[in-house]
This record gives sequence, C-alpha cells and structure tokens, in this order.
Amino acid sequence: MGHVATLGCIHFDTHPVLLFVAPPVEKSAGTNHVADPVLERHPDDGWTLAVPMKVSAGMHRILGKLVDAILPETPRTETTLRDVTRHALVSLQYMPRSSATVFLWTMRALNWSPLWRFRGIRPLTSLPTEAARRHLLAATRSRWLPIRLLMYGPLGLFMSSYFDQDYVHHELRYDPRTFIASRIRVRREWLAGKEPGAAEEIHHRPHGSR
Amino acid sequence: MTILAHRDYRNPEVHEAEIAVVGTGAGGSVVGAELAEAGRDVLFLEEGGYHPTSSFNPYLAESLPRLYRDAGGTIIMGRPPIPYAEGRCVGGGTVVNGGMAWRPPEEVLDAWEALTGQPDLGPRSMEPLLDRVEARIHAKPQHPASIGDDSRLLEEGARRMGWRYEHNPRAQDRCVGSNQCITGCPTGAKQSTLLGYMPRALSAGARCMTEVRAHQLWIEHGRCVGVLGKAINPSSREEDIDVRVRAKAVVVACGAIQTPFLLLRHRLGRPSRQLGKNFLCHPNTKVVAVYPTDLYAWQGVSQGGQIREFREEGILMAENAVPPGTAAAQIPFLGQEALDLMKRYNAMAMTGVLVEDSHAGTVTRSFGAPMARYSITRYDHERFLRGVRYLATLHFEMGAEKVILPFSNFHVAESVDDLRHIERTQRSRSTIELFTVHMMGTCRMGSRPERSVVNLDGELWDLPGCYVADASLFPTAVGVNPQVTIMALATRVAQRLRTPN
Repeated sequence: MGHVATLGCIHFDTHPVLLFVAPPVEKSAGTNHVADPVLERHPDDGWTLAVPMKVSAGMHRILGKLVDAILPETPRTETTLRDVTRHALVSLQYMPRSSATVFLWTMRALNWSPLWRFRGIRPLTSLPTEAARRHLLAATRSRWLPIRLLMYGPLGLFMSSYFDQDYVHHELRYDPRTFIASRIRVRREWLAGKEPGAAEEIHHRPHGSR
Repeated sequence: MTILAHRDYRNPEVHEAEIAVVGTGAGGSVVGAELAEAGRDVLFLEEGGYHPTSSFNPYLAESLPRLYRDAGGTIIMGRPPIPYAEGRCVGGGTVVNGGMAWRPPEEVLDAWEALTGQPDLGPRSMEPLLDRVEARIHAKPQHPASIGDDSRLLEEGARRMGWRYEHNPRAQDRCVGSNQCITGCPTGAKQSTLLGYMPRALSAGARCMTEVRAHQLWIEHGRCVGVLGKAINPSSREEDIDVRVRAKAVVVACGAIQTPFLLLRHRLGRPSRQLGKNFLCHPNTKVVAVYPTDLYAWQGVSQGGQIREFREEGILMAENAVPPGTAAAQIPFLGQEALDLMKRYNAMAMTGVLVEDSHAGTVTRSFGAPMARYSITRYDHERFLRGVRYLATLHFEMGAEKVILPFSNFHVAESVDDLRHIERTQRSRSTIELFTVHMMGTCRMGSRPERSVVNLDGELWDLPGCYVADASLFPTAVGVNPQVTIMALATRVAQRLRTPN
C-alpha cells in the first residue's frame, strides 16, 4: 500500500449519536457566528465544488437569455441570472464530456428555435425576454418528443437552481432549515430517552377535512 | 479508519488488497463490510466523495453535484425518455433514496428459483439473508410522530376508496420525518450504508479510496487481478492521476447502468450475450394535487406508506414530497406562471404511480458514456393511465382543487369529469412523463452460462476473479423498492467469497 492518509477534517459517523456531539462548523471566516452543525449551504467537509465549465462569451449570452426567459421575473436579486448560469456550468463539470457537449449544442438549437419553428429569423438572444419565453414554452409543450426533449436539460438545471434560493423559498413559505432543526431537537431528545408524543406529531390539516 | 481522496494519490502507485470493491452503495458496502468483518483485507473504490451526515443540507442545487451522478442530469433514452437518479458518493444510492425496506415478494423469489433451477435464490435460501440485512439496517415502520399530513391524506383517501394501504418498513433508527431523504438525511436517522455498513467495514480495517473512477479491469492470463482507474480532481473534474489496484478478487457494484458499462469494455458476457441486456427500471410518474388548505407535505417522512391494492397488476402508488427545485423542474410552466403555481407548493400533495416492468431495455457503451435504452410497452402505458386515473380520482375524492397530470398535452384536471379526457388524449406513449430510481437486471444471475452473465456465487462466467454485487444481478424485476434485495444478494456474494476455493 502506498501513501495513506486520513482526512483530518472529516467526522466519520460511526454511530448516529455522534452526529450530535460533533463540534459546530464555523461559518465563513470574518464572522463570529457559529452555525448549527448541519444545514449549511456550503458545509466545510473538506470537499471542493468544481469550478464552472469554461464556455465562450457567445454561449454565456445564450445561457443568460435562456435563464432569463425560463425563470419568473420576480423574485430575483442582482445576481440571480449569474448564479443560475454559474450553477448550470458547474453541474456540466459533473457530467461526462459527451453529455455536457450535447447539452451545450441543445442550448444553441434552442437559441435558433424561432428559425426552425418558422416563426422568425432572429435567435432568442436578439429577442425580448417575453418573446423568447413564448418560443421556449412552445418547445416545452410541443407535440414532438425530440423538441420537448431539448427543454429537459435547461428546465431541470435552471428551475432546480432558482427554486433552491432562500429568497424564493421565502416567497413559497418554504423553510426547511427551521423545520429540520426542530426535528433534530426531537430526535436528540428521543436518543436521550424521551420518545416523541402527541406534541411532536406533525399536523396542519384539520382531521377529516375535505 | 482510512478514507483517501484525490489529494492523497500519487502517480504512479499500485495499491494492493485481497478484495477490491468498486462502489459503496447497497451492494458494494455490504460485500465489503461482510468480508472485512470476516478478517479479509478490503479496499473500496468510490467515484464520489465522502460526505458525512453533518454536511447534509436541504439545498438541492448543492446536493445534486455532491451526491448524485452527473449532478442529477442522467436520462434513459426511449419512448418516452426517462430521467433517472443515481447516487455518487460514499453510501451511493442509499444516501439519497427513500430508505424503503421491502422484502422481495415471495412469488418473485419463487420465479427466480424456477428460472435458475436452483434453490439459492428461492424464498427459503434468501430468508436468513433478508433477516440479517433487516436487522442491520433497522428495517421497521415509522413512528407516528414522523408522519406528515400528505401521508395521512393518502391513507385516508385509500380507505375511502376501499383500497389496501400499507405502512412502509424503512431503514431508519428513530426517524423524525425531516423529509430530506433525497438530499441526505440530516438527522442521521436513515440507515444508509454511510452510517451502517461502511463504518462497520472501516472499523474492521477496510480502506476506502474516494474520487476514483474505475475505467477498466486488470486482467492477466484470463483472470481478473485488479482494477485500473483515474482519480478525479474535485476542482477541475479532470481525471489526472492513475490509480491501480491489484487484488485477488474484484467485486463490481456500480449499479445496473455503470456495472455493465465497465464490463462491456472487455467484451465480457460472451457465453450468453446477456451483459447489458435485461435492463429493468420500475418507471414511475408523478401526480400532483393542489388542495384548498396547506398540507406542508415537506414536513413528515417521505413515503409513510404505499397503496398496494393493485400490486398484483404491477401498480404501486405512494406520496413522495420533493423539494421545490425538483417540483418546479417537472411542471409544464415557465416564468411567472411557474411561480404562481409554485406559490401553492405548501398545498401540494405530490404522489406517484410505479409500474412493474413488463419488458426490458439495454445498456451499451456510446462515446465513452453508458447509454441506457428502454421504452414502455402498450401494456405498461395502459397501466400508467389507469394508475394516474386512480390517484387523481382519490385526490378529487379528498377535496383537491386541481390535479397536475404527467402528460405533455394534458396538464391539469379541474374535476373528476376531466379525467375522462385521459383516454382520448393519451394514445401515444411519448406524451407521458416518467422518472425512475430503480435500475436493475443487466448482469443477470443464473445457473447456466448460456442464459446468465454471472453464476450463483456472483462470479462472471467468463472472467474468474470478477464478481458482481448490485441490482444488476436481478434475473427479473423485483416489483418493490430493491434496496433490501440488493443487500441480501450482496450478503450472499460475500458469504461465497469468504470461503476461499
């Protein structure tokens, strides 16, 4: 056996109980805030997120237009389009080269959808966002499977990234962190011997309601 | 305990072990743990990274590249195309699955026994293996405190419809229903192999090399003597360091798509020509109901139970709440229209129909990547339409305002009367939207080399020293969530490997 090392920054969970005695993870440097031991967006477990795939300026423009057309206009921040595009380019790094290449050619094909739909001669990058959205919606709902297939990738990547942002969660009244933290407390008490009772049950809907 | 990552590898190096196990999911980790505990020197190779429970968070956009193959962007080509999800991390699919722990139905094991002509895969032989697995993963039904309103709603709906509803046994220890199964359980309750089998293996002296992709088997004089791979730079994703592992036996447990992909490189499976064939995937589809009041389906366990009334027809139905990012990617709306619908996210009951395969597809190699092909049959299509109608009817019976249907040309039913249009609009198999997580069957196990890829010990007929231990072993579809069956078969492979011949 050659070089062997044990990653010092890793807390291996030999038993679930250890999860709760693991030291809290320090948040980004420069703040004194100490976060919960779980639920951080970029937890420090010694793992590195890949750098975004390098693409041409033209492809950046195409991705930017598609992201703009697919996502809701609000809520957004100044960096929404950039963040979602970046997420897509990072995700491509995790795919086989052939799949990433196909995805990028798909983006080019969608950019020229007005042409092959016989609805215009200008690409989406030259159209207003609302017009671009109409073309993409038509592709999403096309009766032809190969055309619908073109939208699988961008819908999956862009929507999953956008609807994963805290400000969008807020709009949806979706707050998983608070809920999970409360359930961790319930489990912690359970591990200490207090089995959950009626007070810990999850009820929102009136019983028997229609 | 030794876990290595890209930064620990040097060029050139040969790592030695008695048994090399490729993959750490439901198959690989079980084989490795059983062998390590029996005193064998085990070395795991895992393409993904090691992510402890304390790093799990509810953010999908981050969890996808961390925990899933191709950041979740994988698809089976066919009519219709079927996106699929596969784990890629230490623990594999068990880290991101729902944790369901159903035993294979007795009639399926009877069929396997009849198909192989040997008792090894029959109910009596499998019983002790299943007992052992269930004990190790703490398979049991949920505590009432972990059940959410969507599960209760489905159970009540099934009761009103007069259908059989059964609570899921799940691999969990004091699950409190945080509903984050698919992004990694942040409470440590789900007993994935990350928390169960892998710590056992590592405590017994096994080593785990993460961020290594196995590219080919090391074959000398017609025998498998190791694995050749490349370490993946986590930042650039370049495969920049050669990794060679020499071992007396190699266990391939990369799942029903990646395992044949690796083996096909060597043109194995010649006696039967079955390698990569018999690809099964339990396709399923989503039916999302919007209710007048909020259900908060994201609170409470994912899939507290299943409607099993139609299991004999190969139809299962269950609730399965997914994060907004996943839900939004599956709705046929863009822009503000998508947001308007997603604002009702808390009022949504996300349910699905699973159909047991009636035929099989294939896995081949294409441009350096695996290509899975699978099309549903007319019989499958008819069962999907029936299942969607059943579920939508249940939702309307329970008071749903509308039901979002999984058809590209018929999106929303506003009332139970609208469901009549399903027959008229759904004549083509291409318009239904499917998804899957249960890939099986591409290296079928058997007792005759002309009909199977591996023997009943899990060893390839035409490559001594190379074993398979994952869902690709299944001779037919199992008809239920496959985790426990995979683990039981992996335990069998380990027991055979433990006895040197």
